[in-house]
Amino acid sequence: MTASTLEQPTQTGSAARALAASKVYGSGDNEVRALDGISVEFASGEFTAIMGPSGSGKSTLLHCLAGLDRLTTGQIFLGDVEINTLSEKQLTLVRRDQIGFVFQAYNLIPTLNALENITLPMSLAGNKPDPKWLDTVVGTVGLSDRLNHRPSELSGGQQQRVAVARALLSKPRIIFADEPTGNLDSKAGAEILSFMSEAVHGLGQTIVMVTHNPISAGYSNRAVFLADGKIVGEIPAPTPDAILDRMKQLGA
Amino acid sequence: MWNVTIKRLLAKKVRVLMTGVAVMLGVAFVSGTLVLTDTISRTFDGLFSDIYRNTDAAVREKAAFGANNAFTAGRGRLPASVVGSVERAPGVAAADGTITGIAQIVDKKNKPVGNPAKGAPVLGFNWLPDAQLRTLRLVEGHGPEAAGEIVIDKKSADDTGYKPGATVPVLLKTGRQSFKLTGIVKFGNANSPLGASIVAFTTSEAGRVLGEPGKFDTIDVAAKPGVSQQQLVHNIEQVIKGEDGGKLEVVTGKELTSEYQTGFQQNLKFFNYFLLVFGLVALLVGGFIIFNTFSIIVTQRTREMALLRAIGAGASQVLGSVIFEAVVVGLIASLLGVAGGVVLALGLKALLGVLNFDIPTGGIVLKPRTVGVGFAVGLGFTVVAAVAPAIKASRVPPIAAMREISIDRSGRSLRRTAIGLIVTALGVLALVLGLIGSGGAPLALVGAGAIVIFLGVAILGPLFARPVADVIGTPIAKLRGMTGSLARENAMRSPKRTSATAAALMIGVGLVAFITIAAASIKASIESTVTKGMKADYVIDSGMFRQGGFSPKIESDLQKAPGVTAVSGVRDGQVEIDGSVKRVTAYDTHNIDSLFDIGVTKGNLAALPANGVAVQKDVASDKNWKVGTKLAARFASSGKKTLVVGALYSERYPTGNYLIDTKTYAANFADQFDVQVYVKTSGGANAENRAAIKKVLNTYPGAKLQDRSEFAAAQTAQINPLLSLIYALLALAVIIALFGIANTLGLSIIERTRELGLLRAVGMTRSQMRATVRWESVIIALFGTLLGLLIGLFFGWVMVEALKSQGFSAFSVPVGQLALIVVLGALAGVLAAIVPARRAARLDVLQAITTE
Repeated sequence: MTASTLEQPTQTGSAARALAASKVYGSGDNEVRALDGISVEFASGEFTAIMGPSGSGKSTLLHCLAGLDRLTTGQIFLGDVEINTLSEKQLTLVRRDQIGFVFQAYNLIPTLNALENITLPMSLAGNKPDPKWLDTVVGTVGLSDRLNHRPSELSGGQQQRVAVARALLSKPRIIFADEPTGNLDSKAGAEILSFMSEAVHGLGQTIVMVTHNPISAGYSNRAVFLADGKIVGEIPAPTPDAILDRMKQLGA
Repeated sequence: MWNVTIKRLLAKKVRVLMTGVAVMLGVAFVSGTLVLTDTISRTFDGLFSDIYRNTDAAVREKAAFGANNAFTAGRGRLPASVVGSVERAPGVAAADGTITGIAQIVDKKNKPVGNPAKGAPVLGFNWLPDAQLRTLRLVEGHGPEAAGEIVIDKKSADDTGYKPGATVPVLLKTGRQSFKLTGIVKFGNANSPLGASIVAFTTSEAGRVLGEPGKFDTIDVAAKPGVSQQQLVHNIEQVIKGEDGGKLEVVTGKELTSEYQTGFQQNLKFFNYFLLVFGLVALLVGGFIIFNTFSIIVTQRTREMALLRAIGAGASQVLGSVIFEAVVVGLIASLLGVAGGVVLALGLKALLGVLNFDIPTGGIVLKPRTVGVGFAVGLGFTVVAAVAPAIKASRVPPIAAMREISIDRSGRSLRRTAIGLIVTALGVLALVLGLIGSGGAPLALVGAGAIVIFLGVAILGPLFARPVADVIGTPIAKLRGMTGSLARENAMRSPKRTSATAAALMIGVGLVAFITIAAASIKASIESTVTKGMKADYVIDSGMFRQGGFSPKIESDLQKAPGVTAVSGVRDGQVEIDGSVKRVTAYDTHNIDSLFDIGVTKGNLAALPANGVAVQKDVASDKNWKVGTKLAARFASSGKKTLVVGALYSERYPTGNYLIDTKTYAANFADQFDVQVYVKTSGGANAENRAAIKKVLNTYPGAKLQDRSEFAAAQTAQINPLLSLIYALLALAVIIALFGIANTLGLSIIERTRELGLLRAVGMTRSQMRATVRWESVIIALFGTLLGLLIGLFFGWVMVEALKSQGFSAFSVPVGQLALIVVLGALAGVLAAIVPARRAARLDVLQAITTE
């Protein structure tokens, strides 16, 4: 494992995959298997939605894939790199250079303006963004006239757009989004989701999104269903209705 | 409500402790000071009881002045003939006249033993014939039996290696003289009393070399069995009535002991106050930290408070719960502080020892008063500091439970500006009034003024915390990239918090800067005065200021040296002039013109008559004295005299406010010592003249020969030990402020958990996280340092301006040293950030981003 292999993601084939991934909390009678031997692969350029009821393990899976949490057993690959064996520092650099994040809320640093928030991971790396690409990203999310505003001066939807732009800017191997529209009204939510979908289809970005909302999942081109820490099914090119049907079957 | 508060305290033990540390250190310092001085005081009480254990009564002359302090009382000596009368009084078992003076042993390397200017005195006694009255106990050899024989204390004997039979040179007011050592003594049970050195002579020799022939300082009397001290005193009074011109008085041994004990305690009081000032500074800094911590806690708890209000808690209950928390913090801090004070007393003693202020102590003395004071100040400062935050907490409206807590951008109100300016102005007023000496207690006024200025600037602080943090942070952001910008933004985001945290450091730095500037100005003033008026080529310093000096024989010895054209010794003593005790300096006024120019404005120094005194012109004009004015004076030895003002002069250096001729001094003072000697040579300072003088000084070991520039340097260096002591004591205030910065950063980090988690999630490394906290700390510390520097500069300037007439001629700003303070301030920020930075870096990312 060298730094250079970390810095050169290949944009073809598998962006991330989990192999027999298990995450166990507690032990003995208190043992909870949040992930129970999951194997799943996310192809480059794909927009995947991970769905499932509360406690199904979908957030844990996302955290482990994104290097925010570690598996108990099993492996996570980001490209060809197995991240479970990386040191804390290497993992941080992987997150910075190869992963983008969009969380449900509190996505931004309140003391930085929109532009500074967008370029934050690159600034942390000591890099300057490519100005053309920056324009493209900012333009895509429609923030050109809001760049000097601080988060407190932006609406919830605008804040999430800043978060999406931040995730896109470093052209990461993969973007993880955790209920990115959970705190937004449906119009703002729809906007965010169309930006994300455009990023996948127009810019070739890979996105994995956790959600429990069938409409959100409808923007993806693959829905993976989790229950009790296991994958219980998936739908390619899902529609909200198909997802709702499947969820009813799963008893969620 | 109570159990909510108590549970909260228990849940936040670490924070309670951190908050308390600031107060704890202050309390520890105050109680440590009291413990130290009580301990010293008890040691000396024991010493004096030991000295006068067998003395039932003492006969002496009444004090001419200063009777209220045994150490400074001006008393003459009584005639030896009184002893015979006392012996005849009924109930007297034994009566011996005592003689005490100055005698310095010279060791085998021709070095004088002991350094009386800095520590224990070098004492000479007469060997009392009566073994019962004698405090000296032989451990080897026998007592002095002839004029040429002496005994010395065991410590000096051990240090120098002198054995009975050896020839020991001794420096006396009569000059250097060698004696045969016949014995070695202990003082009571001690090898030497508190490090003093002792030489004892036969009584008649002691009269010649220590006191005055045929005279005694006191007569110590032992009673026959069954005779009370009061009875004895009464009997003696009857017998000696009318002798020595009615100047005699008789006191009991008990009175004598307690006179010295209380006299010593009076002298200790200044030292006590001196140390207590630093304790109060520490507490003031601690108060700022308590205020700030409680303010932050209250802000962080706004939702909790609002929830409590929403479910029915009254405003007074919320207020009470915050005050209660302060009381608990105060109590714990005071308890630990008093305990720490005992440890600190030992540390202070060691510190004083390192800096050459040698203080002997026995076991530690912890009085209930010390505990009481410790708890009172600890609890007092904590609760008072928590009042404002508590009131703020009680005003939280229930609706705040539903609101988001936004970034605090407040702190720029008009009200704040007005109050801050008014408070600062009041402080400046008090400071200036105190410095120009109006009002009843100028020093207290200066102190209060300084404190109020600190408060005023602290109130104004939030107004410029943002812009200043911005300016300080900009180069850091330029150099350090994202970590630097985040640090700058964090330091700017809550001006009140940044300002209050910096204010704690401001106090320490302000005082350090002030002391640095004051010291530089004092040194510059000394240097300019010393070099300005001085014409003498050499100064010979005995290093025994107010503790003896050279035998005046040195003057005639020097006069004989080739190349020497003028010589004057400097003697110094106390006289009561016009009803109050004054310090007078004696010079050879016929020679003084060739040695210094003191700017005579009226009269003629060379023509000063035997009863003449020259007075500094400002002092004279204050009292409306003119040349020819007659002044009532009282000398300890010669009694009432009339002095006539013979000349007025402008310079206070080196002659002080009252100058008399050497002959006048000799006629009115019992003991003649030259503290310094000024020498003028033909051809000025050169190797030849130096060698000639050096040769004379061979018989005066311990004499320091200095040319003009060496003398100026030595004079300015005199303040260095005191300066080091003050710096060391002020370090405490700075250390406490570091705890304050660490505490604020720690609380801010808790508040920013989510944000820090996000930073880590999107790729901030742990070391970048540490750097962000560290730079924020540096910005806060530099803000405090700059405020402190400004205040220090102001204090220094005001002091120099106000004391210009007192000889402050130069306002000197030591740029290099002040720059060093800024660097140290920044380093202090780095130091304070260590623990909070580590905590921020250790944050669990997943937990942080999922915290509610």
